[in-house]
Formats: sequence, C-alpha cells, structure tokens
Amino acid sequence: MTPDPDTDPRTGRVRITSPLTTASPHVRRTVQQEIDESTGIGEVYVRSLVRSQLRAALTVITTLMLTLGALPIVFWLLDDLNTLELWGIPLPWIVLSVAVYPGLFLLGWLYVRQAERSERDFAALLSPTLVWPPPEEPWRP
Amino acid sequence: MAAVNTTYGVVAITLVAVATIGIGAFGLRISRTTSDFYVASRSVSPVLNSSAIGGEYLSAASFLGVAGLVLSTGAEALWFPIGWTTGYLLLLVLVAAPLRRSGAYTIPDFAQVRLQSGAVRTVATLLVIGVGWLYLMPQFQGAGLTMRTVTGAPPWVGTVLVAVIVMVNVVSGGMRSITFVQAFQYWLKLTALLVPVFFLVHAWTSDGSPPPVASSDWIQPFGEPDAESMYRIYSVMVATFLGTMGLPHVVVRFYTNPDGRAARRTTLIVLALLGTFYLLPTIYGVLGRIYASDLIADHRADAVVLELPSRLLGGTTGELLGALLTAGAFAAFLSTSSGLTMSIAGVVGQAMSHRAGMSNITAIRWAAVGGVVVPLVLALSAERIAVASSVTFAFALAASTFCPLLVLGIWWRGLTAPGAIAGLIGGGLCAGVAPVITIWTRPEGWFGLLAEQPAAWSVPIGFALMIGVSLATRHRLPADVSRTMVRLHAPEGVDLQR
Repeated sequence: MTPDPDTDPRTGRVRITSPLTTASPHVRRTVQQEIDESTGIGEVYVRSLVRSQLRAALTVITTLMLTLGALPIVFWLLDDLNTLELWGIPLPWIVLSVAVYPGLFLLGWLYVRQAERSERDFAALLSPTLVWPPPEEPWRP
Repeated sequence: MAAVNTTYGVVAITLVAVATIGIGAFGLRISRTTSDFYVASRSVSPVLNSSAIGGEYLSAASFLGVAGLVLSTGAEALWFPIGWTTGYLLLLVLVAAPLRRSGAYTIPDFAQVRLQSGAVRTVATLLVIGVGWLYLMPQFQGAGLTMRTVTGAPPWVGTVLVAVIVMVNVVSGGMRSITFVQAFQYWLKLTALLVPVFFLVHAWTSDGSPPPVASSDWIQPFGEPDAESMYRIYSVMVATFLGTMGLPHVVVRFYTNPDGRAARRTTLIVLALLGTFYLLPTIYGVLGRIYASDLIADHRADAVVLELPSRLLGGTTGELLGALLTAGAFAAFLSTSSGLTMSIAGVVGQAMSHRAGMSNITAIRWAAVGGVVVPLVLALSAERIAVASSVTFAFALAASTFCPLLVLGIWWRGLTAPGAIAGLIGGGLCAGVAPVITIWTRPEGWFGLLAEQPAAWSVPIGFALMIGVSLATRHRLPADVSRTMVRLHAPEGVDLQR
C-alpha cells in the first residue's frame, strides 16, 4: 500500500492550493435583477408569466368558440331544436336571451381567478416575503 | 298623437338633463388638474367605475334599438346584446389588466408606449375620431326619435338638445364629473326599463297571454336558414366581440382603475351589470310584436319601448311609466354621448396641445366642441337607419383597427410600427368605406351584405396586414420591447423597473 504523498510526513511535501483571490465571488442574483437587467434568465421568467396569462385567455376564447360560436350552426343543422319549447317559450329564445349571460359571467369569473393565481405565483417567485394580493383584500368581484 | 304624455315626458327629460348637469357641476368643484380632467386621477373604485362603464356603454342602441330590432327581425336580433356583452369578456381576457398597466391615457398613448412611434400615434388619433363620430351619430338620431315620440316636435329638436347638454357637460367638468354622471345613469336606465316590465307583463297575462303573431323566421334564431343570414350573424359576432375593446370611450375608462387587478375586477362586474340589463329589452320587443307591430311599417320600430306603456296600460300609470322610459332613454343618449365626446376630446386635445402649444384643458374644451358638431351635422343630414345596426359600423371599424393593435401589441413581441400603421390604415379603410357605401348607395345582394356587415372580412385583413408587415420589417422592432412586456404584464405589487 502506497502512502498518500500529500499527507505522508516522511515525504515532507506540503500541498499548495490557489486561494482564487482574483476570481469573482459567487453572488446569488435575485430574479428582480435578472429581469431588470433583461438577462436571458429574466426574459424566461417574464415570458413564462406572459405565456400562462395568454393560455388562460386562449382557453376562454376556445370555450366561447365551441359554445356561442357553434350555436348558429347547431340551430341550423338541428332544426328540431327550434321547435322545442320550455314553459311555452321556444328553446332558442331561452338560450339566447337568458342562459348565455350567466355563462359569460362564469367564464369571466374563472378567468380572473386563474389570472390572479398566475400573478401571485410570479410575485412569490420574485419576492417570497411579499404577499400579493394584499391579504386585507380578499378576492371579491 | 304623442305616445307618451307630453307634459310628463318633458318633465322627465328636464329632470334627467338637470340631474346630469347638476352631478356634473358637483364634479366640477373637485376637478381641477389635467389628470382629474382626463381620468379622474385614477382613484375610482371598481363598483363605481363599473357602474360608470355600464352607464356609458348602454347606449340608445341598447335601450331602444335592441327592442326595436327584436320587434322587426325576431330572434336574430338577440345576437346584438350577446355580442355587446361578450365583447367585455374578450376585453377582460385579452386587454384589461395590461392596458391599465401600460399607464397610458388613450389608445394613441398606448401605441406610443408600445411602439415608440409618433406616426402610429397620429393614425390612431384619426381613427379614434372616426369611430367616435360613427358611434355618436346614431345616439343623436335616437334622441331625435325620442323627442318626436314624446312631444311630436321635429326630430332635430332632440338631436340638438342632447348635443348641447353633452357639450356643456364635457366642457365644464371633464372625466371626474362624467364618472358620477355615468354611474348614476346606469342605475337610472336599469330602473327605467325594469319597473315598467312588471306592469306590462301583468297587463299581458290579464289579457290572456296572447302569443306573438309571427312567421317562423321571426321565431327562429336567424331569418331564413341560408348562407346570407349565417354570414350576417357571424359578422355581427366578429364586430361586437372584437370591437368593444377598441371603442375609445370604453378604453379610456380602464385608466381610471387604480391598478391592473382592479381593472379585471371592474370588467367582471361590468359583465354582471350588462347581463342583467340585457334580460329586459327582449321582453319589450316580444310584447311589441303582440301590441305594436304597426310600428314596423311606420319605420319607427326603435320607438317600441316608449310606446308600449300607453298602448298596453293607458291611463295615468301608462303615462307615468312612459315618462320613466323617456327618462331612461335620455340618460342613454346623454351618457354614451358624453363618454364618447370626452374620449374624442381627450385624444384630440392632447394632439392639439402638443402642436399648437395651448394649455391642455383649453385644448380639450375646444376638441369637445368639434367632437360634437361634426356628428351632429351628420345626424341631421344622413338618412335614418335602425340604431342597433348603425352602431355596428363603429364596432366593425374598432374591431378592424384597434383590436389588432391592442391584441398584438400586448401579446406579440414582433409587432413593429410600420406593421401597426399598415394594419390600422388597411383595416380602417375596409371598415370605413363600407358604411359610406351602405348609407349612400344601398347596394343589393351579396355585395350589399358584405358592405353592410364588413367585420367578417375587414378584421382578418387588419390582423393579416399588421402581422405580415411586422414580419417584413423585423429590423424596426422597438429596442425596449422586453421592458415594455414587463411593464404590461408584471403585477404592480412586485418591485421591478418598468
């Protein structure tokens, strides 16, 4: 077994290592700095926020297209629906003059919840101590 | 014979006018700085602000026009209020918070913030004026129709009266007073339409609940199920869904929210307020089909809301309710016209004070006068078309120009100033020439339909031009687009350079 030359007192050798005094020290950079200085990392954070907000918006738009946007075609193709009556009122009238409005509000409400959640996550990423939105303001439309 | 008791009607109009100017004067005392004048110093709470938005948005087209269109065209008309409400949902998801966070006062300001280009600003300013005038004209015409129904006076009396009140109000008080006026007028309009419904429906059931006498194409969701009516419905959808976000009087309201989050909440409350209101006009339209279908032949279908109480109830009750509806209708003209005039004046006033070097508030006052006079002349000279369909031109123009500008500006880094200008001018020409053709030459057939409802083709053209020219001029990308994106999308609570 060969003794470790670095620690063997018989060899009298001393290990010399560089103290790295000229290298820049590793400093933790905040997300804020990354974004403020428009670095690649900062860009990634902002893009991910924008993308999640856009995704929420596109979800609402797709839902609209599949429901409201499809209604004229549905009424056109399924002619029987036009003759259906509820409490003596034709079904298309109930859908178009009453039922759509609560539906639109519900979509809006779900969107606002999602959008505020994305913003909360983004805020938590930037400054974990910041509570956003302020707690004294509970979510109320 | 006047359908509404003339004395009561005149009293109702006078009360609304006095209340409007009175609340405006109350606002005057606290409206001192330029910031007050433009956007109420951005300190308006979501509930007050959304009532104001509702009050401002529910125009003659909503108060009189929807019922009139239901009376004459049936189920197809129901797409208009649906579109006007859905427009707010799309405004909410696509532009509300980022628009507020951009920190600008008007759409031209937004263009400047996002694209750093004075040329885009100028084109946007001209378009704000165009959209505003197209929207003001039917309001003034509706006022004339109401005045004629109430007093038998020639239509120009009501038209001029509304124009003068609006001018006095805007010139004296600015946005702060407008906010109070508008909020008051939403609730006035809702009450005015809601209370008579109970009496009218009661009278109808006492009458044995007769069904409307109508052909099947009145009852079906579109006239005759053919390609033309499908095109019309989808075009109305495109115009109203996408046009709302580009209406100048709607956009300017978003700057009065304290922050982006409040802007979203405000819009959500507006959705509820509009949904509630739009349950009512349909009832008037259907009852009108039963009791007042002669108005269609008389080309006065838009007056059905005002006529029903006297026809169905008669006596003092009918007269009082008729007066209440008259008050609501006048509130509708006044609030929408004031909001529109204020937003035109804000935009033009800014441009004038930059160039001519006069003080901001003086410039806004002069611009308000100009903003009212031109549509007033148009309203007096142009032939009358149904209120609900003529506002669609304003929606189509906004949807073809400002909608692409806002949506692409907020969500796409690739938008350049030349691209924006190409889209604004191209989309604007398409949607701007269409009403001119329709109003003055009235073409028939498919060409007539394409001119009457331009949105389905002009909006894609606006988007395509903006995207295409932006891609071709990629070297003109604004240098600080990353910073602008942070500013538009980051919540206000986090500490970032904007």
